[in-house]
Amino acid sequence: MPKLKVDDVEVEVPAGFTVLQACEVAGVEIPRFCYHDRLSIAGNCRMCLVEMEKSPKPIASCAMPAADNMVIKTNTPMAKKARQGVMEFLLINHPLDCPICDQGGECDLQDQAVAYGMDHSRYKENKRAVKDKYMGPLVKTIMTRCIHCTRCVRFATEVAGVEDLGLLYRGENAQITTYLEKAFASELSGNVIDLCPVGALTSKPYAFTARPWELRKTESVDVSDALGSNIRIDVRGNEVLRVLPRLNEDVNEEWISDKARFACDGLKRQRLDRPYVRKNGKLQPASWDEALTVAAEKLKAAGSKAAAIVGDLCDAESMVALKDLMAGLGATSIDCRQDGAKLDASVRGAYLFNAGIAGIEQADAILLIGTNPRAEAPVLSARLRKRFLAGSLKIAAIGPKVEMTFPMENLGAGAPTLAEVAEGRHAFFETLKGAKKPMLIIGQGALRGANGAAVLAAVRSLAEKAGVVKEDWNGFCVLHTAAARVGGLDLGLVPGAGGRDVAGILDGAGRGEVPVVYLLGSDEIDTSKLGSAFVIYQGHHGDAGANRADVILPGAAYTEKNGTYVNTEGRVQLGRLAAFPPGEAREDWKILRALSEKLGQPLPYDNLGQVRRRLVAVNPVFGTLEEAKPGAWGAFGQAGAMGSEPFASPISNFYMTDPISRASPTMAECTSVFLNGQARTGTHG
Amino acid sequence: MSQAPAEIRKHARGGEGRRKARAQPKGRQVEPGALSDVQALLGDKPRQRDLLIEYLHLIQDRFGHLSAEHLAALAYEMKLAQAEVYEVASFYAHFDIVREDETPPPAQTIRVCDSLSCEMFGAQTLLKDLEAALDPKKVRVIRAPCMGACDKAPACAVGHEQVFQATPEKVKTALAAHHHEAPKPKKDYAAYIAEGGYTLLGDCLDGRLTRDDLIKRIDDAGLRGLGGAGFPTGRKWKLVRQEKGPRLMCVNGDEGEVGTFKDRHYLDIDPHRFLEGMLVAAWVVEAAEVYIYLRDEYPELRAMLLAEIPKVEAAGLSRATKIHLRRGAGAYICGEESAMIESIEGKRGLPRHRPPYVAQVGLFGRPTLVQNIETLWWVRDIAEKGADWFTGHGRRDRKGLRSFSVSGRVKKPGVVLAPAGVSARELVEEFCGGMLDGHVFKGYLPGGASGGILPESMSDLPLDFGTLEQYGCFVGSHAVVILSDKDNMKDVAINLMRFFEDESCGQCTPCRVGTEKAVKLMAKPKWDEPLIAELSQAMTDASICGLGQAAANPVKSVLKHFRGDVL
Repeated sequence: MPKLKVDDVEVEVPAGFTVLQACEVAGVEIPRFCYHDRLSIAGNCRMCLVEMEKSPKPIASCAMPAADNMVIKTNTPMAKKARQGVMEFLLINHPLDCPICDQGGECDLQDQAVAYGMDHSRYKENKRAVKDKYMGPLVKTIMTRCIHCTRCVRFATEVAGVEDLGLLYRGENAQITTYLEKAFASELSGNVIDLCPVGALTSKPYAFTARPWELRKTESVDVSDALGSNIRIDVRGNEVLRVLPRLNEDVNEEWISDKARFACDGLKRQRLDRPYVRKNGKLQPASWDEALTVAAEKLKAAGSKAAAIVGDLCDAESMVALKDLMAGLGATSIDCRQDGAKLDASVRGAYLFNAGIAGIEQADAILLIGTNPRAEAPVLSARLRKRFLAGSLKIAAIGPKVEMTFPMENLGAGAPTLAEVAEGRHAFFETLKGAKKPMLIIGQGALRGANGAAVLAAVRSLAEKAGVVKEDWNGFCVLHTAAARVGGLDLGLVPGAGGRDVAGILDGAGRGEVPVVYLLGSDEIDTSKLGSAFVIYQGHHGDAGANRADVILPGAAYTEKNGTYVNTEGRVQLGRLAAFPPGEAREDWKILRALSEKLGQPLPYDNLGQVRRRLVAVNPVFGTLEEAKPGAWGAFGQAGAMGSEPFASPISNFYMTDPISRASPTMAECTSVFLNGQARTGTHG
Repeated sequence: MSQAPAEIRKHARGGEGRRKARAQPKGRQVEPGALSDVQALLGDKPRQRDLLIEYLHLIQDRFGHLSAEHLAALAYEMKLAQAEVYEVASFYAHFDIVREDETPPPAQTIRVCDSLSCEMFGAQTLLKDLEAALDPKKVRVIRAPCMGACDKAPACAVGHEQVFQATPEKVKTALAAHHHEAPKPKKDYAAYIAEGGYTLLGDCLDGRLTRDDLIKRIDDAGLRGLGGAGFPTGRKWKLVRQEKGPRLMCVNGDEGEVGTFKDRHYLDIDPHRFLEGMLVAAWVVEAAEVYIYLRDEYPELRAMLLAEIPKVEAAGLSRATKIHLRRGAGAYICGEESAMIESIEGKRGLPRHRPPYVAQVGLFGRPTLVQNIETLWWVRDIAEKGADWFTGHGRRDRKGLRSFSVSGRVKKPGVVLAPAGVSARELVEEFCGGMLDGHVFKGYLPGGASGGILPESMSDLPLDFGTLEQYGCFVGSHAVVILSDKDNMKDVAINLMRFFEDESCGQCTPCRVGTEKAVKLMAKPKWDEPLIAELSQAMTDASICGLGQAAANPVKSVLKHFRGDVL
């Protein structure tokens, strides 16, 4: 623990800290462009110069390890002069185009120029001009603005694990480029926009849209996967213009996936902004009263035969209201597992990512079962890579052979291999058993087949035999793909006594045994199997469910309501209203509340506070926000034959997994560029 | 290994999940023809990351350029990212990347040195004459930085084989001649053994001499690193020995400092004296492997070493140390020890930050002893003749012998072995036959491009480590360029700054931007002194490595001593 002095303040910092970090500990902010907490140290921008006693020249604080008895001065004429010199150099070639630059107002260079720059340039020569590069549909480049900090290159190679970016040539000719101008193929590519300290890399879809000071910023959580990445939603008027990551060390650090960031333009399209009722085979606009009356009549008539399926993006409030409403009808056919995953809601430890996302960094042996984290949760995949880079990690997979950002052995395609490992007949069993903190990551791909319950039981038995679940470590980790799933399981949205699950509901509907099906944002089911059932769809997008519906009750998207979400770790987080639902659409729990009124069985809550108290009453986990603890362990799954079907990842197209991203033009372009290989060439500008 | 695959290789991974496989792998496609070319060239050589530059040379030598297809194939073959291979290839001046939409350069390339000494002896005229005399479709004429032939200026290189005191006629002859035989060394292995060579190494390896004893002899002689920094050699050995093994050693033969050609000289006259010193030093620090990094401008020395090193190995003299010979690729910055280490690792030559020092964390992350060729050349003499013999030389209270590469306006330029502390005036008059006829001594560069410039009035200063710093100069690699009244100091300073602009690695802001901007400011008829002075100071204070820190020295010197030429 070196002790040093920064501007006469004595600080003690952990070994391995740099002088720059020590200055931060002392409360002194050091200007920097190339340095970033989560990337390797480049030390090339030279903006962080400070004076060090006994050193004749200023030192780069980001690259200098803190040592005992150092005396650092950050505010001396020498340090200031040196920084001014560097700033002037940076501005020599940087264009004076701040008025048309999207980084304006949130630009490190702009901000530091205010502190260290001059009000005029002493260099009259022409500025250096660099041809812009094509980096795909998400990242716009204006390379003349680049100051060669290499943050983007380091992010791509270190965090994203995609060596597509590089610094070519040398000296004044040096320039950043994707290798020969191919799209930057990473699910995390948008993060370079946040990392770029100048306006060289900006958001293509957001280009020339708004100034940061015009935006209303709302802190919320992402629902595009089950990680619950912390985000900030930027809104102007009532329009969501962009989504940015928020720091949460335990969940997403400071990254978000490209879907979380760029799918927000899907919020403007295909929206259900008024109720509809199907008349003479056609959906006709209707009043709320009419739509609710029709729905209530049908539900009342169906009584306990009614069924409900809950979608992937639902907030806990609407789910508990639906559960209570169905209970009032005496109906027990309700299911939140619309992909048919055989998750067991009775034991919390059976469906959580028990070790926590940050727990990945402690694991020393990891087995992925039926999952492709890169498509299902790219930010989690980055955490796996981070763990891999830290060294001595044994990692293997059973399931689809996927291209990860680190080397990973594929042990086999499905259940037979799992059986081998679970029964201790495979070498990897010993690896797990010998590990201090072994981890099993179980994807929905392994659980959603007909034999999902048997697979779950086999994984449970493997966990027990290999010592994956110990007193101080629970490495049994279910990776969900739906933001609503854990909340739904926590609220018990699974079939009750005599109730049908999703397959059963569809089957029953097809055979006329289920007269009414209530779809709460449920779009990932095969709607063609709904037969002649009367379908009530409540949701925000005109997607599969609405298409088949007989009554449409327009709800709110995640940016338009105050909702509670539980992520794959069991972490309860609040999404917040950033914009109002369009037209006549309403917050979802309120719709169900209104419907219950029509049914003559009003739900016992009239405001958000009361709904949330109800949540806590149903499951006390909702009483504690932002915390994730391993779930209770117990017996779950159903031992039996697992079959020999290969495990397939549930996601075939990362860019389009939910009604919002399917409506997004940006995600559509990503799909065509990255998946269908219709990359444009560099000449397309 | 060498037969062509039947079709373009499909993506090695992916495609078995539900996600559709890419129709083609990311980036540029690997073409079967290019891949078989690369496989044939590489043969069964190991596909190690650190050999990337060696393999780029193989392709460049064979095809005259690096096509995008070959780069993609090499990346595929070495399991490297295409961006990484491209980064490295584009960094070095001796590689010519040719994209699909570009035409390859002509089969032959003439590099005309336009660094200071050659410029003084008509490099620009030569450049123009050659361009006029040769067919640009067949021969490419380009300017190049110092190639270590300053005493035979102007120099140029046909391919990489140099033509001295070049004229268009000589160049045409050289173009026609082709295939140059590797010259036999002036003293080969047998001759060196005959005069008692490798006895010292034998004494070391067989335990007749202790490491401490040897270090003491070197320490007593006060031998210092002669690459330019002048770090006491014995102390360096002790420092490296203190680090936990395994340790490695690198020999810096990237003599790129403008005006320096002494390493070339010593390798030429007596290569085994150097090799013996190298193996002794490796034995002292117990380095199991030694990497000699030789600049690409000296192909004849490389050929010679390739012939001589196996003789040493065959004699069992390198039994404690495996010798690797690595080839530079045209980058002055790789003379900076940490940049050289990066280059040996097969990367771009970007200097590293200190701490940690290379003695602690060097090549492949191991503690590394880095020594200049000449430093090692002296090890045997000092060990055998004793410290007193070495320290017996010297003038003006300085001790030891120094090799000065003298060029410029003197009658007899060349490598001059002189006592430490000798003055520039003595070098001119006593060792180099005086000034050229019609030239009056006006000033001199004491230490190459980065060592600053001093006026004739200061030519009685002792030239040695630590004596010139107070005047804003240093002796560095002892490259002395003598300037006369016919030389305009502004042109000299611009020439030197242009060299730094060309050779800046581009890593840090002050050097990348500062060198380029300095050239532009200096080219103006009248210098904006305050601005140039501030720019110089920012470069000196804020650059990562010596290149940027010293690049402004000539400018500062001119402003101090030759104001009349620029203001």
